[in-house]
Amino acid sequence: MTDTTFNGATPDGSNKAAIGSAWRWLLRHPPVVTFALIVLVCLVVGTINTDFWQVSNLFDILRASVVRGLFALGVLVVLASGGIDVSFTAIAAFVMYTVTMLVTNLLPGLPMPVILLVAAAGGACFGALNGLLVHTLRAPSLIVTIGTQYVIRSFLLTFVGTALFMNIPGSMEAFGKLALFTHQSANGSISALPAFVLVLAVAAVVTWWILERTLIGRAVYAVGGNPGIAERLGYNLRTVHIFVFAYAGLLAGIAGIMHVASNRLANPFDLAGMELEIIAAVVLGGARITGGSGSVIGTLLGVVLITLVSNVLILVGIPSTWQLAIIGVFIVLAGTVFSLRARG
Amino acid sequence: MQLKHEAGAPHPGGEIAKAAIPYLEIRNIQKSFGGVRALKGVSLSIEPGQIYHLMGENGCGKSTLIKIISGAQPADAGELLIDGKPVGHLSPVAALAAGIETVYQDFSLLPNLSVAENVGLTQQLVAASGRLARRLDLTQMRQTAERALAAVNLPTNRAFLSTRTDELPMATRQLIAIARAIASDARLVIMDEPTTALTKHEVDNLIGIVTRLRAKGVAVLFVTHKLDECKEIGGRAVIMRDGQKVAECDIADHTKAELGFWMTGKVLDESRYRSAPKFGEDLLSVDALSLKGAFAKVSFSMRRGEIVGITGLLDSGRNELARAIAGVVPADAGRIRLGGKDVTPRKPADAIGAGIGYVPEDRLSEGLFLEKPIEENIVVPVLDRLRGAFGILDGRRSRALAERSVEDLQVVTPDVANPVQSLSGGNQQRVLIGRWLTINPKLLVLHGPTVGVDVGSKDTIYRIIQRLADEGMGVIIISDDLLELLQNCDRIMVMRKGEVVETFEAETLKEETLYSALVEVTTVRTPQ
Repeated sequence: MTDTTFNGATPDGSNKAAIGSAWRWLLRHPPVVTFALIVLVCLVVGTINTDFWQVSNLFDILRASVVRGLFALGVLVVLASGGIDVSFTAIAAFVMYTVTMLVTNLLPGLPMPVILLVAAAGGACFGALNGLLVHTLRAPSLIVTIGTQYVIRSFLLTFVGTALFMNIPGSMEAFGKLALFTHQSANGSISALPAFVLVLAVAAVVTWWILERTLIGRAVYAVGGNPGIAERLGYNLRTVHIFVFAYAGLLAGIAGIMHVASNRLANPFDLAGMELEIIAAVVLGGARITGGSGSVIGTLLGVVLITLVSNVLILVGIPSTWQLAIIGVFIVLAGTVFSLRARG
Repeated sequence: MQLKHEAGAPHPGGEIAKAAIPYLEIRNIQKSFGGVRALKGVSLSIEPGQIYHLMGENGCGKSTLIKIISGAQPADAGELLIDGKPVGHLSPVAALAAGIETVYQDFSLLPNLSVAENVGLTQQLVAASGRLARRLDLTQMRQTAERALAAVNLPTNRAFLSTRTDELPMATRQLIAIARAIASDARLVIMDEPTTALTKHEVDNLIGIVTRLRAKGVAVLFVTHKLDECKEIGGRAVIMRDGQKVAECDIADHTKAELGFWMTGKVLDESRYRSAPKFGEDLLSVDALSLKGAFAKVSFSMRRGEIVGITGLLDSGRNELARAIAGVVPADAGRIRLGGKDVTPRKPADAIGAGIGYVPEDRLSEGLFLEKPIEENIVVPVLDRLRGAFGILDGRRSRALAERSVEDLQVVTPDVANPVQSLSGGNQQRVLIGRWLTINPKLLVLHGPTVGVDVGSKDTIYRIIQRLADEGMGVIIISDDLLELLQNCDRIMVMRKGEVVETFEAETLKEETLYSALVEVTTVRTPQ
């Protein structure tokens, strides 16, 4: 956005000034840092183990990014408005399990689009409840969503069920197997890029459009920047609060179905404990935890970075127990860079 | 746009009909906050193309009135009429839709959004009647912003339009706030103390903008207590005191003294409180104190019993200097010596330990525990001295100390167990001063000691300050109330852009001299 100022501000001959303005430019474009980290990880891993550069590996990373990506887009919208949501995994678990059960038992022939619609609506309802609570109680959203997360999860396990669903509805199974693209590698093994990555692509484009091209999107950032001023200027805080949480819930509902479709089973204990990892991905993508910033592209890069670290370290012989440490270092690194930005 | 509206009015044509129906009429507006009557029935008519100055002391109800007109708060009783039609309670969006635009004292810019968004979004929000499920018209937003920015002489290039507003200097932010107000078809622009942060040059620019607005039939309502500027701009004065409108007149017809009398209810007494100061030995010496981005190489010294005033515009560094002396935001270079000993504080506790008391500017957020009893608020800094057996607070001694303090500073309260928020602003301020007196400070730093304080309390606070100095305490007053400094200080230092540029002997100083030193023409900092 501010490329013009960057280019204009680089005087020839003065290296120091050039580095200074490049640094400032970097601070204003946090996704660049994320992208650099991704490139770094790829180069390091790819140099040590050339197996990394295989199409199947790329497909795996994309496949593993879908559920995380959907969650992260929802968290991005909530973070941008100055809130935080940790209940989305519980919403996703509830929706995926309940919908799978209902469809299997009552309407086994229900087509995939309808299933997605029902899941989205269910997730949005839970999310709207979050938003309503946050707004009317004027309570910190972290506390509210910790509460709803526990209630929803407990409700699911107590009243809906705890048994695994191995036989998921036919339409969901078919959707999970649908390949967008297949690739045969030199050694003859076939890998497929699942079609459901398109769901993430569509969700990303829609989220970008909402945030950047609609009034509600600007209102989300306005409220995240300063809720008191936004209210004084006529932005309806109630609408914004309900919208951001409902939208996060909606994406969580869809993510739940994607999780079932790709794993071909519905486990009510799944997805628990992913919250921090997702929030970390969004923050790695440049969103400030205090609200008012963050972008779709940054968020997607953050998700890819986290997925990359979780998936490929095994290729270079780093034990999986080390993944967390590396993600942790990245978070501290990114956090430091972004707080430098805040200090100007 | 004004003509279009007149044609649609129920009484078309004729000067008489126009004069009969003002743009905005306020009838008998009342508002209370928890038993305090902020507005006791105020009526006011706003005519198109007229300039108004809403004047009054802090706490007279003028900000409350503005909040009701701009839809930020509902009135308890009374009527609002626009073009002669009652509108009930206005929401912020309804007020905007009716053409009422407000430039708030804090500018109310969204820090994380771009200049273009800050200026251009409101119009789209109003067009959508506040409903948010609308597409954003980027082209319209950019064009609106360009037009409005040009009207206030700001750049309209893409780089400027996409700059975040928190990266811009204060004066530019204010112009952006004004640009936002006039971006849509404003019919009344309210400016809440618009000149506080401006240099003389920038004030002139502002007056130019106001003149152009007026020529287009837009009414402008200034909220201010600066009599000199009001007289320079001209128009009608609306004077409030204690929640009531006490006078409305043409500002040119009356002297400053008359206006001041209406505002304060007493003859504007500009005589000095300071008399026959007795200075003791050297007390404080500040040596090349600096804080990057705030102030640089500030040096001065003072003796016991001396009162030194520091003033400057908002971005002059005076606030940061006060906080640095108190250790709240420590300086990054330089020394502070108190009684010959280096006490340069790194944190507030250092300053307290050295005997520096600091009464912050914002009592509510920096100073007082509002919901806690007066007693607890007073004894906070000396809790360890009040330890009784087993380290438990000695309740009787604590209470006795608080009661002595309350009596000493004439805080009006039946019981020191009452919460501080039950007190008026002036009494709250006295509690805060009382707190710091419990540590017997050698140096007392008062930051805006009478902000939000009524006239009677001001008098009491000034007398307390004088008494403390007479007893040998050193007092620093940081304030933008020039009269306050002239009345109370021995010396006044003026800061500009982080430096002390002039130091005056207060006794012979004229307010005009001090004012022109304060607002000395400086270059306007607007990015090109």
